[in-house]
Amino acid sequence: MTDITVKVNGRDVSAAVEDRTLLVDFLRESLKLTGTHIGCDTSQCGACVVHVDGVAVKSCTMLAVQAAGAEVVTIEGLSKDGELHPMQQAFHENHGLQCGFCTPGMIMTAIDMVRRLGGNLDEATIRHELEGNICRCTGYHNIVRSIEAGAAAMGR
Amino acid sequence: MHLRPKSLDEAMAFLSEERAVVMAGGTDLYPAFVDRPPPARILDITAISGLRGIVREADHWRIGGATTWTDIARASLPPAFHALKAAAREIGSLQIQNRATIAGNLCNASPAADSVPPLLALDASVELASASGTRTLPLADFIKGNRRTEKRPDELLTAVLIPGIAEQARSVFLKLGARRYLVISIVMVAANILRTADGRIAHARVAVGSASAVATRLANLEAALASAPAHTPAGSVVAEAHLAPLAPIDDVRASGAYRRDAALTLVRRALAEADGDA
Repeated sequence: MTDITVKVNGRDVSAAVEDRTLLVDFLRESLKLTGTHIGCDTSQCGACVVHVDGVAVKSCTMLAVQAAGAEVVTIEGLSKDGELHPMQQAFHENHGLQCGFCTPGMIMTAIDMVRRLGGNLDEATIRHELEGNICRCTGYHNIVRSIEAGAAAMGR
Repeated sequence: MHLRPKSLDEAMAFLSEERAVVMAGGTDLYPAFVDRPPPARILDITAISGLRGIVREADHWRIGGATTWTDIARASLPPAFHALKAAAREIGSLQIQNRATIAGNLCNASPAADSVPPLLALDASVELASASGTRTLPLADFIKGNRRTEKRPDELLTAVLIPGIAEQARSVFLKLGARRYLVISIVMVAANILRTADGRIAHARVAVGSASAVATRLANLEAALASAPAHTPAGSVVAEAHLAPLAPIDDVRASGAYRRDAALTLVRRALAEADGDA
C-alpha cells in the first residue's frame, strides 16, 4: 500500500492505495465516482477518459499511485453550481447518446479537443479526434453534432 | 511494489540489486493485468527528471526515453522526422499517445510497433544505462526478435539518438490496418529519400514493419535507389526481390502472402509519395 494525495475535481483526497490499483478503479471503488466507466479494460474503448493535469488520459492506463500529486478531473467535476458544463448541455440538447455508456468518456475527450483546437470544429476533425472513443451503439452522428454545438458554446 | 524514483542514479542502483518490470506510460503493461496478477515489482521511470524531451546536440538529436508520442507529434523537427511524427499519431489513440513513450514502444519489442520502421529509416541508436555504465547500440541490433531485446535486466533505455544527417530528406510513413483508427498494423513502411540538385538519390532509407519478427530495412532496395539514374521515379525502382529480407507470417490480422503483397504496394506508394507524386 502507498499513501497518495490527489486533487480530484478540485478537492484534495488522501488515501492508501494498493500499488496495483488502476486510477479508474480508485476513482470508482474508493471515491465512488462511478461516472467514469470501464468498457473494455484494455485501453481501447475510451469510456474511462479523465483529465490528468489538463490532458485526456484513459484512466485504465494509469496506476492510482502514478496520479500522486496530480490534478484529476472526472465527468462529475464538470458541472458548476448545478449548471451543466456547456459540453454536457450540448450532449443533452442534441441527444448525443443511445445507451449512454460511452458518454462520460466522449464528453471528457470532447472538452480536451476544444481546449487544444478551439471552438470552431468541423465534422471531419471531430470524427478524427474521436479515434480513441468507441460507441458500441454506433450513435456517432448525434455525438458529432453534440460536440460541434458544445465546442461552439465553449468558445462563446 | 511500486517504485517511482526521482533520479536515474536511484533507479539504476535499484536495478543493479533487484529485478523489476520497468514501466513508463504503462499502456502495454496494464492490458496484461486483466487476467493475470501484476508484476511483483514495478519500477516507474516517469518521475525521473531529464528523461523526457527532445534536444539537438552537437551532431545528433536526442529523444529522452520517457518522451511521449504526443510530445513527438507536436515537436518542431526537420522534414526527415515526418515519418516518425506520422507514426506517433497512429500509436493507440490520442489518450494513449499522451501517456505512451518511445522507450516503452521499443522495449516492448512488438513486431507491429509503429515507431520502429521510421526510427530505422532515421538510423536511430538507443542509449542503455546501468550502474556499470552506458552503452549505445544501433536500433537494428537492439531488437532481437518478437518481444526480445538486447536490454539487460539492470539497464534502462534512457534515450534514442538520431544522427543529424539528411535532415531535409522527404519522409513518409504508411500503415495498413483493418480499419482506419486504433488498429494494430498489418504492414507499415517508412521511407526517407533525399535527392541532389541534379535529381540523383543521395540518401535512401526504406524500412518495413509487421512483415518479419523484427522490422527491417531493405538494404538492396536502398542500394538500387542510390544507383538509379537521375530523375528515375523512386517507386519504379522497387522489385519483388527487394522484399527478400521480409518473412511475413499468417496470423489473425492477415496471411503471410497478403502481407508480402501489401508490403510491395506500400513500399512503392511510400517512395512515390516521397517523390512528391501523391
